Amino acid sequence: MAREVLVLDKINAGYGEFHVLFDVSLKVHEGEIVALVGPNGAGKTTTLRTIMGMTTLYSGKVLLNGKDVTKIPTHKRIELGITMVPEGRRIFKTLTVYENLLAGALTKKAQQRFQENLELVFNFFPKLRERRNQIAGTLSGGEAQMLAIARALMSDPDILLLDEPSLGLAPKIVIQVFDIVKKLREEADKTILLVEQHVKHSLEVADRAYVLEQGKIVLEGEAKQLLTDERLRKAYLIL
Amino acid sequence: MMAIDPSLLLQNIVNGVFTGLLYSLVALGLALIFGVMDIINFAHGDFVMVGAYLTFVLATTFMIDPSLTAFITMPIFFVFGIVIYKLIIERVLGAEPLIQIAVTVGLLMVLRNLALMIFHAEPKGVPFTMFTQPITLGPITIASSRLVAGIVSLVALGLVHMLLTRTKWGIAMRATADDREVAELMGINVKRVYAVTFGLGTSLTALAAALIMTFSRADPYLGLLYGLLSWVIVAMGGLGGVIGVLASGLIIGIIEALGITIVGAGARELFIYLTFFFILWFRPRGLFGKR
Repeated sequence: MAREVLVLDKINAGYGEFHVLFDVSLKVHEGEIVALVGPNGAGKTTTLRTIMGMTTLYSGKVLLNGKDVTKIPTHKRIELGITMVPEGRRIFKTLTVYENLLAGALTKKAQQRFQENLELVFNFFPKLRERRNQIAGTLSGGEAQMLAIARALMSDPDILLLDEPSLGLAPKIVIQVFDIVKKLREEADKTILLVEQHVKHSLEVADRAYVLEQGKIVLEGEAKQLLTDERLRKAYLIL
Repeated sequence: MMAIDPSLLLQNIVNGVFTGLLYSLVALGLALIFGVMDIINFAHGDFVMVGAYLTFVLATTFMIDPSLTAFITMPIFFVFGIVIYKLIIERVLGAEPLIQIAVTVGLLMVLRNLALMIFHAEPKGVPFTMFTQPITLGPITIASSRLVAGIVSLVALGLVHMLLTRTKWGIAMRATADDREVAELMGINVKRVYAVTFGLGTSLTALAAALIMTFSRADPYLGLLYGLLSWVIVAMGGLGGVIGVLASGLIIGIIEALGITIVGAGARELFIYLTFFFILWFRPRGLFGKR
């Protein structure tokens, strides 16, 4: 088995007093696409935010490339090779497309590989090259999502956390987003942890998946097997 | 409508432009701090007041021109700003506006009363400056202190604009202004950006104060005038960045000068606040507000 890039070990976390995650453990190996699925309010986003150090952690550990990062602040975790594309894209609307990419590349590590990553990003998303001097707030939903992913790639991560990348996009664009997720692994060697509401699409692109319900992991396994799991098919109306 | 001598009108517009440039500089630090940190700093005008006294003390102690004290007061104020940030502002980040107002109004009262205690109510001026000769160009005469203050202000505005648009620090500041949480996801140390922004915004008031002291005097209530003026400019400039601050400052400067010409010096502030009132009536987001 490949190296473990990300390990969550019995995570209990939430926001202040509000306990959301209960004993959540999961692993992501190098080169894997892992999907985290579950109903609204199950704690998927909270799991990703906990990995980035943006929640209150009561107990448990987050290991990144074997290193315990539990006590490291969010901004320093980026330099260690991880980043998150937040739900709702949240591009810097008042900055230009190019300035958004610059903002993604402010760490020392990212600075050193700036040109390479910029080329990679522009090859992945040629639209962004065309629109590099446009104010990001004027992009369409699909373009904004591309920019959000591109901006994250500029920090030169080994592992990328994607939170609902297809949320609010037209069906045609949703397909494109899943294609990009595959391409990120195949052409950019990225490891991916994907949170999605499109359960069927996610399980089709993922190698493995975890199902989160009410803050607990209730099911895990090979994505292809989960696709045929009767309980899951019923719960998420996969037809 | 009474007749106004056209050359007098031109003279006053020119006066207004140079005053407006200085006003823009006074407001710039507040605009930066408000824009990046979303902090409502009511003590901003009193930073200008403290800067004016510091300029007075340094200029009279070392017998140097008040304008040149900026080279000393700006670094001191940068550190002063960071100390204020660490001691007071960092604790109320993201707190309710009322708490931020209470804290910065408290700071304002402390600074104002310290000034009263140390320097008493009598205004203190620096009795010498190299900029005393008026400069005449055709029908227009302008005090060289005003000319220098305007030009230095414009240069400072230009430099801050370049900092914000051309440097990594500027990108980090604007990204933080846009979305603090996502800025952290970019690896930006937001707390450090805040400290530097507050330090920079504060040090700009020291430059403004040094320029003000070439033609005016320090008094404990200076903060009242410049604080309100800064808020008017920032509110009018909305989200227009440095350009917005510059445009609003010029509008205020020119209107003030015209008000003095047409009605008299007593009505000076009346016109500023009337303009403010009408602009926000018709454009509640400010002249440049988009959101």
